[in-house]
Amino acid sequence: MDLPIRRLLRPRDPEEAVELLARYPGALPVAGGTDLVVQLRSGKVSAETLVDLGGVGLEGIAEGAEGLVIGAATTMDAIAADGRIRAGWPALAQAASQVGAWPIQCRATLGGNLANASPAADTAPPLLIANAQLRLLSSRGTRLVPLAEFFLGPGRSVRTPEEIILSVTLPPRTVPAHATLYERFTKVGPRREQIISVVSLAARLVVAGDGSVGEVALAVGAVAPTPRRARRAEAVLAGRRLTGPVRRDAIAALQEELAPIDDVRAPAWYRRVAAAVLLDRFLAEVAGG
Amino acid sequence: MAEPVRVRLRLNGELREFSVPPGRRLLDLLREDAGLTGTKEGCGAGECGACTVLLNGRPVTSCLVLAASCDGCEVTTVEGLLAATGEPHPVQRALVEAGGVQCGFCTPGLAVTGAAIVARGVGKAPERSRLISGNLCRCTGYLTVLEALERAGGAPDGAE
Repeated sequence: MDLPIRRLLRPRDPEEAVELLARYPGALPVAGGTDLVVQLRSGKVSAETLVDLGGVGLEGIAEGAEGLVIGAATTMDAIAADGRIRAGWPALAQAASQVGAWPIQCRATLGGNLANASPAADTAPPLLIANAQLRLLSSRGTRLVPLAEFFLGPGRSVRTPEEIILSVTLPPRTVPAHATLYERFTKVGPRREQIISVVSLAARLVVAGDGSVGEVALAVGAVAPTPRRARRAEAVLAGRRLTGPVRRDAIAALQEELAPIDDVRAPAWYRRVAAAVLLDRFLAEVAGG
Repeated sequence: MAEPVRVRLRLNGELREFSVPPGRRLLDLLREDAGLTGTKEGCGAGECGACTVLLNGRPVTSCLVLAASCDGCEVTTVEGLLAATGEPHPVQRALVEAGGVQCGFCTPGLAVTGAAIVARGVGKAPERSRLISGNLCRCTGYLTVLEALERAGGAPDGAE
């Protein structure tokens, strides 16, 4: 069955795309369409006009002065396969390989995953611990927005209807000599593959030579109105050795700062427990390794 | 009311041109406009994999792809997996030999994703399982499907 739209516009560059979005009020940008097509079919979203971002040249991953720049139309499959991301931002590569199944990953884009502003977006926690910056374009020009300030609530972000995401920048990161990096993305759901996260965790720890935590970043998905950093748990861990009591305190702090809800996928109490289990497993692995 | 859009494809190796409504899905273009009914519609929401086709060599669920966004692309359906001689693709042959087919509804999608897995040269069994996990089959229980993927290509386990 055809989608109930009246026109599909195919701009050739980002500037033309935002011009069209400004000219047709209510028009929606579409990239991979793996989420939007489902919503248009179900009637949850409606639009007369779609602006296709597939042909405007936003695919690709490049090293720039400010870090690694991922074009917004880069697919999950390309991100999961990129050697630089696998080495420097492993949680992001792991998350990209767990968004839907492979045929979705070959179509779904990084910009789309973020623009939907789902609390469960799998690429968001790894990008939050990477201090990622988004570059947005409208007919008034570009602006930079830290991902930490991008999400406002379920389905809501600071992106205006006339703006598109151009790229995501990952600032360079270094690990001091004699320190060990641990970074991991994990998620919980009813099946290992192809699930919308019930809880997700991206965690990064740099452990110094003396066993203390030199750097810590934790972010969680699907346990609050937006994907977010777990700052209280981070504060518990910073500078400490990962003893049993410290790990327990960190987990307690994480549970206090979550704001999960009951929905069709899981009750709030389950999310609270599952988030604690994900962090506990990660810390146990780091402490044991 | 809706403004038709022109879509030019290299479809199973042949240059084809279509004029379709802007909201047409690639799945419907293939089945209704091109007459290629090997590609099946299962869930219509990108979750079952029955409608999988190759878009520029990569598997996609064609129920979620707007036909108009494929202008200038190469599309391969299950019909296009056959060699010019009419010989089945190694994955199709392996699915038959391993008993990876029962009712057959999911089979075109399995064959297309399977062909992409073989083309990628995936040697590790867990990675093959991950890549095929979006093609749901309610008959075979998957073991024969995984056996077929192993037979069809890819190096022996651990050889990567």
